[in-house]
Amino acid sequence: MRCEEVRKIIAEDWPEEAPAAVREHLAGCPVCDSLARDHRLVRAGFHALAAEPAPEPSWGFSTRLLRRLQESPEREGAEFLERVGRRVVYATFLLALTLLLALALPSSGPLRGPTTAELYLAQSEVVIAGNDPVFTGEFPENNGATPVAPGNGGAGEKP
Amino acid sequence: MDSLPAQEAQELAWIKRAQRGEHEAFGLLVERYQRRVFSQVFRVIRRPDEVEDMAQEVFLKAFRAIRSYDFRSPFGAWLSRVAINHCLDYLRKERASRVTYHWQMGEESLRRIEAQTENPEGGGLDPEQQATVRDLVGKLLDRAPGEDRIVLGLKELEGLSVEEIAEILNLKQSTVKVRLHRARKRMLEDLKGWRQGR
Repeated sequence: MRCEEVRKIIAEDWPEEAPAAVREHLAGCPVCDSLARDHRLVRAGFHALAAEPAPEPSWGFSTRLLRRLQESPEREGAEFLERVGRRVVYATFLLALTLLLALALPSSGPLRGPTTAELYLAQSEVVIAGNDPVFTGEFPENNGATPVAPGNGGAGEKP
Repeated sequence: MDSLPAQEAQELAWIKRAQRGEHEAFGLLVERYQRRVFSQVFRVIRRPDEVEDMAQEVFLKAFRAIRSYDFRSPFGAWLSRVAINHCLDYLRKERASRVTYHWQMGEESLRRIEAQTENPEGGGLDPEQQATVRDLVGKLLDRAPGEDRIVLGLKELEGLSVEEIAEILNLKQSTVKVRLHRARKRMLEDLKGWRQGR
């Protein structure tokens, strides 16, 4: 018999007593013999564990269980309310944290966009530039949106 | 004593009443199956002081789920499935790595035990040796993954057949055989590693 077959029999069939062919192989193969010895040790341990008596239900086990069953709808209702309450508290806390963060952020810099006031000021500059009698008609392609810098075909560069 | 068909009919009636929410009928089922549930929970988790609390949780879960029982498998197998799933949840929460142990056997006593197990006709193990191998395999089981503990516990300790285990775990018999094979192999490898590392 080959080692592979012997190991398969030991680990797979988990025999109470090794067949004669396996015993013959074990006599001449120390590696398989070591596996067989471990197998016997574990088997003996399982036998000893199986002989241990399981704990018995204590007196009144089923009565206590039925009492818990009768209480459980009320308990489940209370647990549900507690869960919902906890979620409301978490949500409020999260909202408060978001508001605090929004207030604590710097009013300028890369994290903040232009304010309404800044946008309003920028808009009035454009309107002023567009209505200026000096520059009227000077920015045909620009439609008065942005003043063009000198040297780029802007005012003061007549041929 | 009632005959088996009469007992089955009685049990069927209890289950139907329990499905309608009657606690008393469920109490009768608890009385009938409590020892079995205690034994299975004990064999798998191996903590005698926690067995009663866990068994109570198992029965509470079973009562909440009893409407889903469809009478296709025996009620005992269905209840065992609830118990085993509960044990598996418990074992998953436990961290296997926290189980540490030391080798307490000397080389000489180990050789004696091995010789005794090789030749059981010679009287077998004495109580002290039995306690030693029980402790050894108990620790190996504590270190094993939850799935291994369940199949090994049901097969080697509860003495159930592959067919019965397949019914409880809702698996094919071939799958149970493969799981058993892997669990035993892993346990032998663990023992080998332990012996080499000592």
